[in-house]
Amino acid sequence: MPNEISGGSENSELSELLDRSMPANSEAIAAVVDSISETLGKLDVPEQKRLEIALAVQEALANAVVHGCGNDPSKYVRCRVKSAPNGRIVIVVTDPGPGFKADGLSDPKKSENLYSDHGRGVYLIRQLMDEVHFERRGNEISMWKY
Amino acid sequence: MDINVRKRSQVQVVQLRGHLRMGPAVDSLRQTLEEAMGNGDTRIVMNLSEVPMIDSSGIGLLVRFLALIKQRGGNIKLAQPSKFAVQTLRLVGVLNLFEIFDNDDSAVESFA
Repeated sequence: MPNEISGGSENSELSELLDRSMPANSEAIAAVVDSISETLGKLDVPEQKRLEIALAVQEALANAVVHGCGNDPSKYVRCRVKSAPNGRIVIVVTDPGPGFKADGLSDPKKSENLYSDHGRGVYLIRQLMDEVHFERRGNEISMWKY
Repeated sequence: MDINVRKRSQVQVVQLRGHLRMGPAVDSLRQTLEEAMGNGDTRIVMNLSEVPMIDSSGIGLLVRFLALIKQRGGNIKLAQPSKFAVQTLRLVGVLNLFEIFDNDDSAVESFA
C-alpha cells in the first residue's frame, strides 16, 4: 500500500495515530470508530470536531463493509489515522473491493430521495470533512479534517 | 444502545441511549418499531436526548418508518434531539420531515 496520502500539504510530516484492520462485519465498526474518537479525545480535539470525524469514519467503514466487501467477514477493511503538525487529521479507509465512482451518486436532498433508507453516506462524509479523495480504483477514501 | 419503551396516553415513548448507527443499534430499533407497528401502535415519540450521533443507517431507518407510519395515519415525533443529531438530520435535508419537541410531555400531548 502506498504511504502517500492525497490532500493536505504536509504528507511527509504526518504522524500515525492509529492503524487498524477489521473484519467486514457491521458489528466491528463501532469499536474502530470509538477507538479513533478516544484517541482524538486524548489529543484534546474538540467534541464537535470529534463527532464529525467519528460520523465520517462510521460512514466510510460502513461503505467499505457493505459495498467493498459485500458483508463478507473473511475480508478485511483497513483504517489509518494520521495527524499533521498543524492539527489536521487524515483518515484513510481501504477495502479490497472493486471500488466505485463517487461522482455518480444521487443527491439525497432531492425530494424523491428524502424518504429513502439509503444513499446518504458519501454525501455526509463530504459535508462533514474538509477534503475527501477517492484513491486507487475507488476502493480507498482519504478524508481530511482541518 | 439501550432502548426503553413506555406507553403514555396511547403514545409509545421510545427512549434511546447511545449512538444510533449501523449494527446492533439500528437492528434493535428496527425490531422495536416493527413490533410497535405490529401491535397497531402508530403514535411514537422518539427521545434522542442521549443519542450523540446518528449515522446514515439510522437516518434511513427513521425516515423509512416515518413514511410507513404516516401511511397508517400515525407519526414519529422527536423529543430533545442532541445538537449533533439535529445538525446531521439538517445536513441531509430530513430535519423538516419531523416534528420536534423540547420534551416528552409536549410531544405526547401533541398527539391529543
